Amino acid sequence: MVLTSSPVHTKIVRRRRARRPISTRVGDVLLALAVFLILLPFAFTVLTALRTRADVAANPISFPRAVTLDNFVQVYAKINYGVGLINSVIILLGSLILVIVIGALAAYPLARITRGWTTGIYRIFIAGSTVPIFVILAPFYLLERDFGLLNSYQGVIFGYTALNLPVAIFFYTSFFRQIPEELEEAASLDGAGPLRVFFLILFPLLRPITATLATFLTLSIWNDLVLPLVFLQEPSMQTVMVNAYNLIGPYNVDPTVLFPAALLGVAPLVLVFILLQRQVVSGLTMGAGK
Amino acid sequence: MIQRRPLWALAFVLPAVAIYLILIIYPLIQGGWLSLTDSQIGNAGNFVGVSNFAHAAADSTVRKAIVTTISYAAVVVIVQNLIGLALARALYNRPRIRRAVSVLILLPTLMSAVMAGFVWSSLYSPDGAINVLLRTVGFGGVTRVWLGDPSTALWAIALVNVWMFCGYSAAIFLAGYMNMPAEITEAATLDGASGFRRFWSVEWPLLAPALTVNVTLALIGSLKVFELPLVLTNGGPAGSTTTLSILIYQKIFGGQGTFAYGATIALILLAIVVIFAMGAQTVLRRRERRI
Repeated sequence: MVLTSSPVHTKIVRRRRARRPISTRVGDVLLALAVFLILLPFAFTVLTALRTRADVAANPISFPRAVTLDNFVQVYAKINYGVGLINSVIILLGSLILVIVIGALAAYPLARITRGWTTGIYRIFIAGSTVPIFVILAPFYLLERDFGLLNSYQGVIFGYTALNLPVAIFFYTSFFRQIPEELEEAASLDGAGPLRVFFLILFPLLRPITATLATFLTLSIWNDLVLPLVFLQEPSMQTVMVNAYNLIGPYNVDPTVLFPAALLGVAPLVLVFILLQRQVVSGLTMGAGK
Repeated sequence: MIQRRPLWALAFVLPAVAIYLILIIYPLIQGGWLSLTDSQIGNAGNFVGVSNFAHAAADSTVRKAIVTTISYAAVVVIVQNLIGLALARALYNRPRIRRAVSVLILLPTLMSAVMAGFVWSSLYSPDGAINVLLRTVGFGGVTRVWLGDPSTALWAIALVNVWMFCGYSAAIFLAGYMNMPAEITEAATLDGASGFRRFWSVEWPLLAPALTVNVTLALIGSLKVFELPLVLTNGGPAGSTTTLSILIYQKIFGGQGTFAYGATIALILLAIVVIFAMGAQTVLRRRERRI
């Protein structure tokens, strides 16, 4: 039966495809064009970064005739990529750990106690996510100066922690509300205190949302220019972004310098993206479908 | 269990509240105080009342920056969401390529504004790829110094912003599409609703939450835009891309001795962001409830 019905089935499918309306085919073309245009600057950046300077100067738009990694090697040294990478990773990891632990701790009572003082605190945190960094930059700078935190990793890490706590609290609070309370009740009947319950039972349950949050925070912290630019003057402590930013001169638009720098800057994120695609997409679209 | 242990609840919230009070709330208050002084380089300064605000109200640079920032945000919010919505709808109707393509168009979102600025400052340069391309296809008359011309610079930057985030906007709309109740979309199919009618009376109302998120994110992001104009034009030419964030940065750290004035303009930016973000939220959430 299966054998006899399958040719008929294919025929129907084939006929249906042939009858796809014109509007759908126009849509296909437009979609392909849009995706092509979005990816074109990327492809152009990669292809140009692989060409020699003389070749690019002679003909700005062309495929590489001979592939060279010289541009990458030169820019790598110029922006002190190795050191910048270490600094960026230190700042990123420090901020991630603080935001995740402190944010999850605070979200637990904020999610469980829905009456009284907690709602007010929750609202203040959420409102804080709209405050642009520039609004508090001047006093922030004075504060860090007075605490002696200028030119220290901690200064930048505390800054990111404060700026990103609202989003962490938002993520974790909505996640805690989906975790049934019975789990904690059972544990507390066994005599476990709140800290033990939190770290041994609840925190492990937060793994998926923590992965989502971490990828979201990684994007924004890795790509940020403002905090390290303002609070770190010591060149040996600078992040990848600031070192790359320093390449920009008034007339420096040489693609064989800027393009490899851009690719080196985004490379670690692309790596994360490939490994954690699902988390990145859900992290970016969190809250869209409520 | 935390409900029955109020002291523990307080202890759990305390680290977050302490950091937030010290690093966000206190600087906000301090910023309010600074704007009432004549602090030049971050010193305490003398109380001068509202003279900074009076100065700002009469300052044509500030007024121009406000207009620049708001028109930039308006263009970015509208264009980015239109493109994102079109992409999301196209992908929703093509399940086989949906996942792969939506991941591909998210690539520009990974780039930092600095890196995107690098790529586009070269593309836009007088002998850069865009002008060469235009000359090659016979539109030599259209070529110009895109970032050096006050009439095009701001829109050239807005285009980079749209390029970076239209895939992001599409991902959020697509998540909205995927969350549509199957009964409703199937009913619409059975009723034979298609094309624009289907979009307008079925999909568009159901996309309300995604629209709220998209508009709010794009609005906040574009009102405080800083890195793109910093890298691409540094506020020029002729101040045509000096957004409020750029102006604040110049006043505070530009060595002009205008620290307090920078803090004043920062409060103006805060007021604008809060008014627009809350306004948009109120309108869009009310619309969600109505639907």
